[in-house]
Amino acid sequence: MINAAPSDQPTPLFALRGICRTYGEGQTAVRALIDVNLDISGGELIVLLGPSGSGKSTLLNILGGLDRPSEGAIQFRGAALTGLSEQALTRYRRQHVGFIFQFYNLIPSLTARENVELVGEITDDPLDAAEALELVGLGQRLDHFPSQLSGGEQQRVAVARAIAKRPAVLLCDEPTGALDVKTGVRVLEALQEVNQRYGSTTLIVTHNGDVARMGARVIRFGDGRVRSVETNTARVQPSDLVW
Amino acid sequence: MRALDKKLFRDVWRMRVHALGVALVLACGLSVMVMAVGMRGSMERTRAAYYAERHMADVAVSAVRAPERIAELLEEAPGVETIETRVSGVALLDLPGVSEPPSARLVSLPIEGRPRVNDLTLARGRWPDPARANEVLLSQAFAEANNLVLNDRLDATLHGRRQTLRIVGIANSPEFVFVAAPGELFRQAKRFGVIWMNREALARAYDLDGAFNDAVLLLGRNANQAETIAAIDRILEPYGGIGAYGRDRMVSDRFLSEELRQLSTMAIFLPALFLITAAFLVNIALGRVIATERSNIGLLKAFGYSNAAVAWHYAKSALIFAAIGAFIGSAAGIALGRSVAELYRDYYHFPSLEFSASPATFIGAWAAGFAAALTGCIFSVLKAARLSPAEALTPPRPTTFFSAGPTLSRFEASLDAKSRIIMRRIVRFPRRAGTTALGVAFAIALLVVARTMPAEMDYLLDVNFGVANRQDVSLTFTEARDSTVLHQVERLPGVVYAEPFRLDDVILRHNGRTVHEAVFGVPEHARLSQIVGRGQRVMAAPATGIALARALAQKLGAQLGDEIRLEQTRGRRIATSVRVTAIVEPMIGSSAYMEIAALSRLMREPGRISGAHLRMDTSRYDAFNREIKEIPGIAGVSFVGQAEASMRSEFEQGIGVMNFIYAAFAAIMAGGVAFSAARITLAEQERDLATLRVLGFTRLEVSYILVGELMALALIAIPAGLALGTFLSIWLMQLFQTDMYAFPFVFNPAGYAFAVAFTLGCVGAAAMVVRAGIDKLDMIAVLKARD
Ligand SMILES: Nc1ncnc2c1ncn2[C@@H]1O[C@H](COP(=O)(O)OP(=O)(O)O)[C@@H](O)[C@H]1O
Ligand SMILES: [Mg+2]
Repeated sequence: MINAAPSDQPTPLFALRGICRTYGEGQTAVRALIDVNLDISGGELIVLLGPSGSGKSTLLNILGGLDRPSEGAIQFRGAALTGLSEQALTRYRRQHVGFIFQFYNLIPSLTARENVELVGEITDDPLDAAEALELVGLGQRLDHFPSQLSGGEQQRVAVARAIAKRPAVLLCDEPTGALDVKTGVRVLEALQEVNQRYGSTTLIVTHNGDVARMGARVIRFGDGRVRSVETNTARVQPSDLVW
Repeated sequence: MRALDKKLFRDVWRMRVHALGVALVLACGLSVMVMAVGMRGSMERTRAAYYAERHMADVAVSAVRAPERIAELLEEAPGVETIETRVSGVALLDLPGVSEPPSARLVSLPIEGRPRVNDLTLARGRWPDPARANEVLLSQAFAEANNLVLNDRLDATLHGRRQTLRIVGIANSPEFVFVAAPGELFRQAKRFGVIWMNREALARAYDLDGAFNDAVLLLGRNANQAETIAAIDRILEPYGGIGAYGRDRMVSDRFLSEELRQLSTMAIFLPALFLITAAFLVNIALGRVIATERSNIGLLKAFGYSNAAVAWHYAKSALIFAAIGAFIGSAAGIALGRSVAELYRDYYHFPSLEFSASPATFIGAWAAGFAAALTGCIFSVLKAARLSPAEALTPPRPTTFFSAGPTLSRFEASLDAKSRIIMRRIVRFPRRAGTTALGVAFAIALLVVARTMPAEMDYLLDVNFGVANRQDVSLTFTEARDSTVLHQVERLPGVVYAEPFRLDDVILRHNGRTVHEAVFGVPEHARLSQIVGRGQRVMAAPATGIALARALAQKLGAQLGDEIRLEQTRGRRIATSVRVTAIVEPMIGSSAYMEIAALSRLMREPGRISGAHLRMDTSRYDAFNREIKEIPGIAGVSFVGQAEASMRSEFEQGIGVMNFIYAAFAAIMAGGVAFSAARITLAEQERDLATLRVLGFTRLEVSYILVGELMALALIAIPAGLALGTFLSIWLMQLFQTDMYAFPFVFNPAGYAFAVAFTLGCVGAAAMVVRAGIDKLDMIAVLKARD
């Protein structure tokens, strides 16, 4: 068993202990996560790397309060996340979590700015929508609808939307999965920028080894287990990534 | 094609909720259509058969006294085939256990054999023995309302003489399918009936031995009715003929025709609303299916199915919806028709009234259902037909949204993002939004109609009993009496106040037009029988001249200031002229009015009155009734106060049923449309709504987007629904209006409020049912799924 290296902070942002997630029962049961132990500290940019079906998304969903582990315990800032009610999980997502999806999931009937404002409406101290979009390089396209934007632009709107609530953690599941290299790089740049400027802990799921090179830590997955956790000593700027 | 047919049924099964919505909405409309058209046909056939079998008169006439030999002259008049002369009158009855004396029309039976015109059907018992003067037949509705059976006795005051009659049979006649007391426009089965008795006995009672005062005639095939009527009038002129008339003026037949006309209106008005809604529902349901079926359409075409085959494939699913609706509608229509037939049977006592809808009715209903479905699916189906296979196999272009135009942008800017989503979707999918709004508006309109018509009827009763006929009791004398009789009347037990009235049966002539009507003489400042003027306000009787009801003035073509001819039909048959000094607006009837003294002077009977209206101490009715039965010379006692009560209660029962049916229809309409719209909205936005849940929006917040869209559309629909309902109410009232009733539009705020509240409730309920889907949204799936 490989444990995550303990970080220097006393209370990690997330502490995962013995997390298992099994789908189904008996013969057909699928063990998506097996005994995952992990500490994630604030402000980190972590890449979760692994082949398809290795359990990365499952872990991200559990961290995001969308799914519950079958066994084990998670703490978020020292408080138990496991065992929370549906409403409490919604509140947790609302206050602390920013999501970025593979297919952007913008609301088609709202403009870029409005998509960002939408999240601002459920947040106490939101980032200004124009500012957030400026940050991801879309200051000129505030009033465009998703259908008028390219995939990469849409994903950057999604990044702006995710950071508008100044989340403690940013969960990105294959954020460049549907994009070509050039636009993908711009999205990753935006993520890195956000991570550096606002210190949001950022978890990027990918099956692409090159993308992993931008992470401060890289956690490798295989068959539902954490295979390795490496601290990246030679971080590469997204603009220097090629795949 | 077999594979495609399997797919068809899978499609329909997948759309079952929408299919059910369309089918139910269609079924509502078609059931009313089958019921109304079928009922109309059944009534018409039954009436025609009944009239033919019982020789319903084509023409009727009354006279004061015509010698029997005149009958031969009448029989020889052009066009006349058969004639039956009769003695007829009205008598006050005294029924054991019934304190308020009802009255009855007495009609003589021929001395030998059965009536050759207006023959009777015997429901029970036997025909009277010609040798027994006291044996009579009684009309069925009256007998049943008063629990009278064979061999019961009843006392009748005929022409001032009391006589005991024995019921030997219960009968019905085509002449009296609908029975109303003279001058009354509402039926009160308990208060007025028909008695048929031996000619000789009746003639003796009315001093008409060897004479008649009433004749009914059958015309030959090629008779010219107008010509015949003119000939009859000429013959009867010297004998006090009042003017012969055709079926169009026979009260019973007129009421039946009116009923048939209302059925026709119903057959059009309600189904139209439902068929339109169903067409729109098909439109949005199929639009949605074809949008999700793009790639399948591409595949079908790639496999070589022609455009027409693909179009037909999708049209068929709409036709299946329609077939289900038409099937349910036909079955419900038959059930509805049967229960309505039962109502009519009890009400009219037709010898046989079976509901049967002709094949043509069903074919018409199914055709209407299919037509609505095809109209509804035409746009979507053509779209499917036009889609090229290559285009269909590429993913659909994402829906492009746009900001609202300049007029709405200010409003839009004031909304929160969730409301903006709602608004953009409404603007983006106007056809679907329109369908929802239309269905909701129709539902509101239906309820407005259902609540306005009773309010108008109520108003009519209010005016009639609160202004025009405020008396508790009206006494009518057999002939005009000196007004000193009033003192006698005032002394009757319980009488608080007595107001004299005069009633002259007259023929009015003007501009070559002739109308047979009543002129009422009322005191200038009447307290009980007041004249209803403009805006239903009380008006003093004109000091000079005559006041005509608007409908009467129109029939005569008479204007204010015109001089019109007046001819008394009874008594001394005075003929004179009088100036029109007012046009009045009674809501019931179309009579003429004069100041009572002026009228009696005009008829050269100064000081003579026809009867009295009484305000009563109702606790003393029993004593009053005991005395009134003993007083000779009273032709009728009409208990107006009780008539009002019974009319209102009968009326309220009818309203209860009608309100229930309309509420059910409105619920199906509004609920069906809202349900369909909500399901589609949810299906289309599933991904967006799940995304919002992932982003931390609560169930309530996300539900708002779904429910809010429906509610916004419902709110938009409110003014349209209220306006449409108002318009329909006015239109329907105009259709139902005859020269017997005039309905002004009555605004019923409570009804409007109910219409809105009930409909919003239905929309809300439908929205809440669909909303449950939000609790089941799969947030994880949404992260993976492509748009
Ligand atoms: N809802 C589910 N039901 C059953 N099996 C699932 C479900 N979700 C994920 N799995 C399985 O769990 C394993 C891990 O899936 P996932 O976390 O999505 O992998 P990754 O994101 O690394 O590709 C896979 O074998 C997948 O098939
Ligand atoms: Mg995954």
